[in-house]
Amino acid sequence: MIRIENVHKYFGALEVLRGIDLHIKQGEVVVIVGPSGSGKSTLLRCINKLEAITSGRIEVDGYDLNDKNTDINKVRTEATMVFQQFNLFPHMTVLGNVIIGPIKVRGLSKAKAEAFGQELLVKVDLADKSDAYPRQLSGGQQQRVAIARALALEPKVLLFDEPTSALDPELVGEVLEVMRNLAKEGMTMAVVSHEMGFAKEVADRCIFIDEGVIMEEAPNHLG
Amino acid sequence: MASFDFAYHVMWESVPVLMTGVKYTIIITAGGLFFGFILGTASGLMKLSRNPVVQRIAGLYIESIRGTPLMVQVMFLYFGLPLALGMRISPLTASIVAISANSGAYIAEVVRGAVQSIEKGQVEAGRSIGLTRSQTMLYIIWPQAFRRMIPPLGNQFIISLKDTSLLVVIGMGELTRTGQEIIAENFRAFEVWLTVALIYLAMTRTLSYALQRIERRMSVSEGI
Ligand SMILES: Nc1ncnc2c1ncn2[C@@H]1O[C@H](COP(=O)(O)OP(=O)(O)OP(=O)(O)O)[C@@H](O)[C@H]1O
Ligand SMILES: [Mg+2]
Repeated sequence: MIRIENVHKYFGALEVLRGIDLHIKQGEVVVIVGPSGSGKSTLLRCINKLEAITSGRIEVDGYDLNDKNTDINKVRTEATMVFQQFNLFPHMTVLGNVIIGPIKVRGLSKAKAEAFGQELLVKVDLADKSDAYPRQLSGGQQQRVAIARALALEPKVLLFDEPTSALDPELVGEVLEVMRNLAKEGMTMAVVSHEMGFAKEVADRCIFIDEGVIMEEAPNHLG
Repeated sequence: MASFDFAYHVMWESVPVLMTGVKYTIIITAGGLFFGFILGTASGLMKLSRNPVVQRIAGLYIESIRGTPLMVQVMFLYFGLPLALGMRISPLTASIVAISANSGAYIAEVVRGAVQSIEKGQVEAGRSIGLTRSQTMLYIIWPQAFRRMIPPLGNQFIISLKDTSLLVVIGMGELTRTGQEIIAENFRAFEVWLTVALIYLAMTRTLSYALQRIERRMSVSEGI
């Protein structure tokens, strides 16, 4: 599903990714851990092409991200990102956040998108919040909306960048619960996280990154 | 010389005539701000373009307007440009063009500042769900930036309204000019200028009140 081959990424003179090789198969849940500044976010952002890689190759669902003929907007709907800071659209309702992708990107009618959006909100246990605005929600609720917004594109992969680190401890569980259910349904996921309990339970593989290289790959036998 | 006597009635009597000036002040302000907003949005966004040529063009426009006095711009437009182009333009056209061009340059900076103030995460979230650059601008960034623009835009609206008084230099019959004409007949400078000032004050206060209302309505609709 995702093939990363010998990827290097520089920010100016700083080499943040120093030859990353990683394959993520369909249905696999890969948890990425590593110290601060090791390049975890950068790696996810490169998969989403929010950053361009300096050299190497990234393929998402068979599309080469560096190929000029690849429609990057299409690829982004196949591998959608959930951010640490949620990044919900504050001027839209919860439902508005969820349906803008289906309407503008996938061309669904408003009625169809709303019906689908409501379904997704049920899935993240926020059916009663569809008319609320993001700032009226707790962090955990906001992050679940963000997950619904990502799911609305019916992506093949979800990329999570520390989805629970901006949350108060008591709100972490509800977000992990949603992610756990997605994993059970067979969603392919790449998750940067420090939640070791979650990693042990849900991950198929754990990857340790330090200073831009993969130090260790551990298949998870408990999972 | 006789002592000064304040003649109230002159104030009341001058109002109907001054209203014909008010009409032009409003037409010029509204027209100027309408086109100024279009011009300002376009050049503000051009200034944010990744294309350096596009950026430079917008920059040149903004800097030349902001770096020269409005009075000079108005006289250049009305007295200067027609000589070069070999055609006359009416004072009203010149006035609206001048206010548009002038406010556009300041509005451009308002637009640019507001768009830049939106968190980078908003663009990334938009792009990440597959929206194109222009869709992200249109549906995600612009609506949020527009809200932040309202206070500085309101400021510019009030400045432009007051700036129309400079149009006396080309004989445009707006409020200030109308006041001058009345005084030329009755020599009641104190009463007439006071009336003119009060009418400007009423217009600027109304404008800022309306803008406050709009701002409050938008906040309520977003559950703040
Ligand atoms: N846009 C950028 N420009 C320059 N340097 C950057 C940029 N983004 C990240 N970096 C640098 O790249 C390095 C890796 O950053 P990255 O955010 O990928 O780390 P991380 O592993 O996600 O860390 P954290 O756990 O703190 O989130 C850091 O040294 C960071 O300062
Ligand atoms: Mg990070």
